[in-house]
Formats: sequence, structure tokens, C-alpha cells
Amino acid sequence: MDFVEGQIFNTSFNVTENVYNSFLNAFNDRNILHTDMDYAKSKGFKSKVMHGNILGGFLSYFIGQALPVENVIIQNQYIKYSKPFYLNDTLNFRAEITHIFESINSIEFKYVFKNTEEQKIASGTILIGII
Amino acid sequence: MDINNILEEINSIFRRELDEDDIEIKYETVAKDVDGWDSLSQIHLVVSIEKHFKIRFTASEIQKFKNVGEMCEVILAKVNNA
Repeated sequence: MDFVEGQIFNTSFNVTENVYNSFLNAFNDRNILHTDMDYAKSKGFKSKVMHGNILGGFLSYFIGQALPVENVIIQNQYIKYSKPFYLNDTLNFRAEITHIFESINSIEFKYVFKNTEEQKIASGTILIGII
Repeated sequence: MDINNILEEINSIFRRELDEDDIEIKYETVAKDVDGWDSLSQIHLVVSIEKHFKIRFTASEIQKFKNVGEMCEVILAKVNNA
């Protein structure tokens, strides 16, 4: 296994119009908090709040495309949201290997998304299997 | 800690991971005896067991277990040697 506990991976993701519109079109969650800027502002947010599950797509990219191996599968995934994020935000992503389960060929990461102001947007864990 | 303590804690882990409060895991229990104990749930069971007891199994240990009891014996040995 080409991984060690404590190994850290850093990358960043841009919440572009394309990401936002693709998520809207794919899943059709057009809740006004996500689509009406005036409404979102009236509730105390800076702008339209992006769908939290967009981060799931970024996690999918990280596991499926950014790791140095291709033969991977997500076995579980947990996420805790701390702050909203907005259109055109850049989110810095950091993942650390916290546990390698050699008995079952699985790897656990803890991860965090932060905005460019260093505010934690979301964090959690992912367990992947090397297949 | 003895084998019964281990088995008791294993029961709690199985109930939580398989989301089934009525599961009764015994020494001689094998995967086919338990609804929902499939290859994916086994991964989650192993993760929970290793974390709970702060132990690590090897791949060959996992492959050799003939029933839950044999796994509990290995857990007990690892816990007592820690």
C-alpha cells in the first residue's frame, strides 16, 4: 500500500457557476436559500448559500482522481457543516490519513474544507477501500 | 477482561453497525447466521472492532477466523498483551 498514517494531501476547489448549475440541473434542489439571493440575505447570509452536498462531489473527485491510486472505492463518508459557502468561493481542502486498516485494505482520512479566510466550512472522515 | 467481556462488547458493536438491536452474537456465530453481515458490513465491523479495542488485525488473521469466538480469542490475546 502506497500510503502511511499521517500522510497529508492538500488541494483546492472552486465553486464555479458550472459546479453550481450542474448540481442544480442534476438534482433539482432549487430551494430558495440556494437560488434567491434576496431571500438568503434576508436570513442573514452573504448571498445564495451553495448546496452542502456539492462538497460530496469534491470529495468524490479527491478520492477518485487526486489520490496516487485508481483502484479505490468509498466505504463510508461523514461530513459536518460549520459555515455556509458561496458561489465563486475557493475552498482549500486538507486530508490526512488517520488509520490504515491493513487487515481489510482500507484507509481512513480526516478532512477539512476551509475558505480563503481560513474559516472551517466542513470537516469529516472518509473510509476507502483499495480494491 | 475475559472472553465473555469481549463477546459482550462485540454484541454491542454488531448491534450498532448492523443497526439491529435484536442481534445475539455467540461464540460459534458465523456470517451466514446474521442478517446483514455481508462483505461491506464486515468492513465496517472490522473498523469498529479495531478502533474499539485499540488493536490491529492482520489480513491472515481475518481470513482464518472460523467464527466470532475465534476472533474474540485473538482480540483477548491482543488486549491482554497491549
